[in-house]
Amino acid sequence: MASYLDQICQAVVEGDDVSIVEVVQEALKAGESPLRILNEGLMPGADIVGKRFEEGEYFLPDLMLAGRALKAAMEILKPLLASAAAADPSLKKAKIVIATVQTDIHDIGKNIVASMLAAAGYDVIDMGVDVPLNSIIDKAEETKADIIALSALLTTSMPYMKDLIDLLQARGLRQKYRVMVGGASVTPEWAESIGADGTGRDAVEAVRLARRLLGEN
Amino acid sequence: MRDYLELLDRAYTGEYISEENWDLEKVAATTRRLVKKYRLEWDRNQVIPTDHALIDSIFQAGLELAVELGVYCRSTERIIHLKPEEIEEGLRTMPKTLVMGEGKDARSLYARRIGDERAPLFFGGSPGSPIPEEYFLENVLSYAREPLIDLLTCGTLTEIGGRSVRTGQPLEIVATRRELQLLHTALARTGRPGMGMLAAQSSVSELGDLAVAHPNLLRRCDSHLVPLLNELKLDFRNMARAVNSWEYGMINASLPCVIVGGLGGGPPGSAVINVASFIVSNLVCLADYHILHPIHIRHVATSTREVLWVISAVGQAFARNAPAIIVADIYPKSGTGTVELLFETAANAIVNSLSACHLEGCGSADGKLPHCSGLEARWMAEVALAVHQQKMTLEEANTWVLRLLEKYEHVFSQEGGNPGKPFDQVYDLKTLRPTAEWQALYDQVKTELKGEGLII
Repeated sequence: MASYLDQICQAVVEGDDVSIVEVVQEALKAGESPLRILNEGLMPGADIVGKRFEEGEYFLPDLMLAGRALKAAMEILKPLLASAAAADPSLKKAKIVIATVQTDIHDIGKNIVASMLAAAGYDVIDMGVDVPLNSIIDKAEETKADIIALSALLTTSMPYMKDLIDLLQARGLRQKYRVMVGGASVTPEWAESIGADGTGRDAVEAVRLARRLLGEN
Repeated sequence: MRDYLELLDRAYTGEYISEENWDLEKVAATTRRLVKKYRLEWDRNQVIPTDHALIDSIFQAGLELAVELGVYCRSTERIIHLKPEEIEEGLRTMPKTLVMGEGKDARSLYARRIGDERAPLFFGGSPGSPIPEEYFLENVLSYAREPLIDLLTCGTLTEIGGRSVRTGQPLEIVATRRELQLLHTALARTGRPGMGMLAAQSSVSELGDLAVAHPNLLRRCDSHLVPLLNELKLDFRNMARAVNSWEYGMINASLPCVIVGGLGGGPPGSAVINVASFIVSNLVCLADYHILHPIHIRHVATSTREVLWVISAVGQAFARNAPAIIVADIYPKSGTGTVELLFETAANAIVNSLSACHLEGCGSADGKLPHCSGLEARWMAEVALAVHQQKMTLEEANTWVLRLLEKYEHVFSQEGGNPGKPFDQVYDLKTLRPTAEWQALYDQVKTELKGEGLII
């Protein structure tokens, strides 16, 4: 029989949010550490899912189902990991607030990026679509986020990303957050011109960017 | 109108479901089941499907999906269920002919058949591309003056007087009105004042759309977009666009942009969702005709193998089972000033034309940049007419498209895509002719395809 960690990894790959809860609980009962479950069970599963999506073998529903499985497992692990992080701050996972900016109701790109960031182990707070700028900033403040990630598909919604950065400046908060921007028409030049900290062409690049902004690679 | 009010009621009274559950448990799961039930498969070397049983099964699966799911209203998080008899009525009463434009410039769109004796019609323009105000008129003129172009469309004005246009803000109204004024100027200057238009492209929310429903701007003989959201969803903003056409009477074009590789999975499931989207949009978008615009989840472009297959499958499915007016648009990865743009456009023109669609294009460079011009719209029409006139079979067309794919497929793995150059660098803005360099690339590609047997 496969080890608990292998079973957890497989449940992520299969997007099974029911069996993953059972296996994680059994693994904890058997003495596995929450951190090991995260790093050697959930993360390898998430890597496989990400790779299969990138190679065109997996599609959006597979990614979303894997995200559900990860979320279900993290619900159990979060309090345990929080206690561990309190004892050792280096174990704390970065928080990312993500939203599609106000007036833009496109969510698929944002959902993919949110799933991939969650799969990479970040604590992702997804605010949905058409989110007012002040609400995004308030949520970042409330959750003590490290990164604000903004999405816009529409060219005429992109200026709201600049408005959010201007609003951060006006509220004296710009230095507190790294701001990532993305969307079909967002280019690195445009991201730079509005004072964002970076952009990625796709979800894989978004994860790389988050890691870079957090000084993780 | 009374029927539509009843649909609006259902948006308040239908079954509640969270959006995530709609996506996963309704759309993704049901589509997956139907793909399995009908054993729908695709072959990446058969970008134009020719198996009639497969085509008919895709239509049947799409019909089942529409009946089983209905449409999700994002504004109320409820399902608008559609009765089978309403869906049948919608299919039966879809317009089979539709006059756009007026006077000598009017054109009659029609529901095409596979192997239709009549030639397709051509919408020229780069829908959705952000075009600077400083050369918006010249850009539109570059399409309007092309003799093969029957109907006009355009990009989006993203700046007015140097100010960024923001969705839902007052400038959106200004931009959309300005767009229509410039389109009319272009039509007058080319001596085609009655040419029909698919316009209000600068209206991203409903604001601009509402602001141009006027005989001097968007005429009754013109059309506007009523989008369906991904997948099988809509909201009150888009329903407002449909309602806006009631008394006034302008023509509604449904626009579902089904994501290939998205909730439907691969090409077969995406085709099923696209069929269902057209079927429901007869009712919820009050569609007079449909824009066929599936996009690739990673590459966006309509010229990928997967998207070409979906376009062909959906076009053929309606032609065989429920003829409707379908306009398939072309969004190549590459931009103006590149040979790949012309190869991509040729592949799409062949597929769209032979799959019973009219054509619209080109949203060059994925419609992300102002890297688009009238020359590739001319090329789109020339290639489509060539394959129509030489009565190319679907099998022959498949061979052609595979050959063309070899000439451009590398752009999908190219870092940064293949954007080419902006309009003002490939056209002389005074003479409105392509630069010598852009013209030479066009001539080169034309000669190359002639040499390979395309009678053009």
